[in-house]
Formats: sequence, C-alpha cells, structure tokens
Amino acid sequence: MNEPTSRADLIAALAENCAPVRRVRPWEGTALIIAATAAAAIGASMVFGFWRGMLAGEASPFFWITNALLLVLGTASTAALVTGALPQVGPRPNAPMWAFALLGALPLAAVIQLLRVPHAHLNEGLGDPDALHCLTSALAAGLVVAIAAVLFLRRAAPVALARQAWLTGLASGALGTLAFGLTCPLDGIVHLGLWHVLPVPIAALVARVIVPPLIRW
Amino acid sequence: MLADEATFARLMAAMQQGDRAAANVLLTEAGLWLERYFRRRVPPGQVDDLVQEVLIALHAKRASWDPARPFLPWLAAIARYRWVDHLRRVYREAGEALEEDAGAQDSGEDGVLARLSLDRLFARLPLGQAQAIELVKIEGLSIEEASRRSGQSESLVKVNIHRGLKKLAALVEKAETT
Repeated sequence: MNEPTSRADLIAALAENCAPVRRVRPWEGTALIIAATAAAAIGASMVFGFWRGMLAGEASPFFWITNALLLVLGTASTAALVTGALPQVGPRPNAPMWAFALLGALPLAAVIQLLRVPHAHLNEGLGDPDALHCLTSALAAGLVVAIAAVLFLRRAAPVALARQAWLTGLASGALGTLAFGLTCPLDGIVHLGLWHVLPVPIAALVARVIVPPLIRW
Repeated sequence: MLADEATFARLMAAMQQGDRAAANVLLTEAGLWLERYFRRRVPPGQVDDLVQEVLIALHAKRASWDPARPFLPWLAAIARYRWVDHLRRVYREAGEALEEDAGAQDSGEDGVLARLSLDRLFARLPLGQAQAIELVKIEGLSIEEASRRSGQSESLVKVNIHRGLKKLAALVEKAETT
C-alpha cells in the first residue's frame, strides 16, 4: 500500500503549493505574434527603407497577391498555433495546409515564367543578385516572430509538439517574409515567386527540428 | 464514485484561484479518473507512476485550462501527451539496448513490460518484424537463437528489429499528432 500513500503525499504537496495563476489566453499569443511581426516590419524598414512605391501605385499585382497569400498563411498558422497551444482533443484545423498549398502556386508560376524567358534574362530568377539578401533578411525577420511564438508556447501547454513546430515555422516564415517584403521593390513574379516564398518552407523545416525540444514540458 | 464534469470544472476554477482545499480534492479525483484512463493503456506496474506524472503536469500547467471549455478533454489531452512520452521512452530504451548489445539478455521485468506495452501496436507490424522483436526483445533470445527459431538470417533478424522498432516509434509519433 505504499503507492497510494506516495500519491497522497504528492497531492498534499502540490495542493500546498497552489498559488493563484493568470490564465493562458490564446489571444495573448496572437497579440504577441502580431507585435513581433510589427517589430520585424519596423526593424526591416529602418534598416532597408520602406518601399513607398507600393503606396504610390507602382507595385505590380504580383506584389499584392504574394503578400496577401503570405498574410493568409501567417494568419491561418497563427490561429492554429495559439488554439493548439492549450491541451485539447478532437480534430485540428487544416487551414494552414491549404494556405501553404495555395502559396505553392507562386513558385510554379515563377518556374513557368523562367522557362519562357530568353536565356539572357535568366539572371532575374536563379541568378538574381538580390535573392540571397531577400532570403536571409526574410528569415531574420521570421526569427523575431518565431521567438515570440516559442515564448508563448513555453508558457502554454502544447500536446502535439511536431504540429506546433510546423505551425511555428509556417507562421514565422510567412509573417517574417511579409514584414521584410514591405521593403523590397522587386515585384516581378519570378523574384517574388521564388525568393519571397522559399523562406517559408525553409523556416518550417528548421522549426520542425529546433522547436520541439524548446517547447517540450 | 468519480466526480462529474461540472464538479471537476468547479474545482479547477477554484484551484486556478489558489484554493488549496479544492486543489486537494481535484487532484485526488483526477488521480482516480487517470487510473481508469491508464489501466487500459499501460501495464499495471506503470499506472501509478504515470498518474503521478500527469498530476504534476496538471498542477504545473493549470493556467492552460480555459473555464469556458470542458475540463475532462483538457485532462485527457495531458494524459495522452504523457502516455505518448512514456511510450517513446520505453521504445527508445529498447532501441538503445539493442544497439549497445544486439542479442543481449534483458531482465525478465523489462521483457514483460515491453511485451505489455508493445502488444497493442504489434498488430500493425509485418509478421517478420514482430517475430524478431518478440524473440529478441521480449523472450530474450540472442540474435543467433532468434535466427534459428524464426528461420530468418541473423542479418535479417537485426534489420527486422531495427525497422520494427523504428516503425513502432513512428506509430507513436503519429498517435501524438492525430
């Protein structure tokens, strides 16, 4: 009869150490991620300069479509992330998966466009001199968002770590790229479809590896 | 008699406010509920450890319960999380033991525990993999003995154990994400 006694002791100790707690609320996670995205956008604008051309009507439709799709993916991923941060059973929303699939239309269009342009113009795509800058800057901006998401998840109690890791990567990749994208005047489909989409799967893959140990409890 | 959903929710709301008496009652009742939950999932000798793990988790993460939502699904999600974590540890230990000394004799207790935990998932494995794991990891035969008994080559026994354990781990991972 030792086990019940030890459990009783444990319960007594836990009950004794039962201070009032402030509840974890999903909207707090949302607010934190929005704030991190805003901070990343402001930081990127301060470093690289906000592209005023978009407000002057100079941006191509691709610019708006790409950033709108990134916003949809970021929003869907954030919503799923903060909802899944609390223990629950039952089906989980798959909107992030569909939003990511929709975003996949852009690199497809970019590759088709690349194949159609004369060889001399291929540097707009794979040899794009600004590609690395956009890729790394978007990932750096995404890191700010990812840190906010992880901080929230550590305070909450996620029970599906792999899923939360994917969502952290998708949200941070999409919102980070969106935040940086406000500074990038290159608005062709090839540049946007490749270099403003690639940070998302990269962030998702990296997060899938790095995030689970950080949020395990 | 076990407490019902409304009682659990009332006690949990009080616990979040720092009510120690409510916490004591809630943890006691939750312990009974968890005993039933785990009795069908793990060997009897592991039930109390898991119950205590979940009670500690419940206490540590009590801020994550939303009073607008039912309590028992929240508790079940935590219990399942701890259960999957427990299974992963069991399989990882089994895999590490195999890598350290293929065919080494396990203790009888480990074999029985492994068998009880693995049985529920064995049906999902190909016959050869299940047989190799059963002979070496549960009955404690050496690779050579298992090879003679099963008719598989020694290499195949090792491969089947490796792949079988990997698949079991994948099944556990899948269980976590669905």
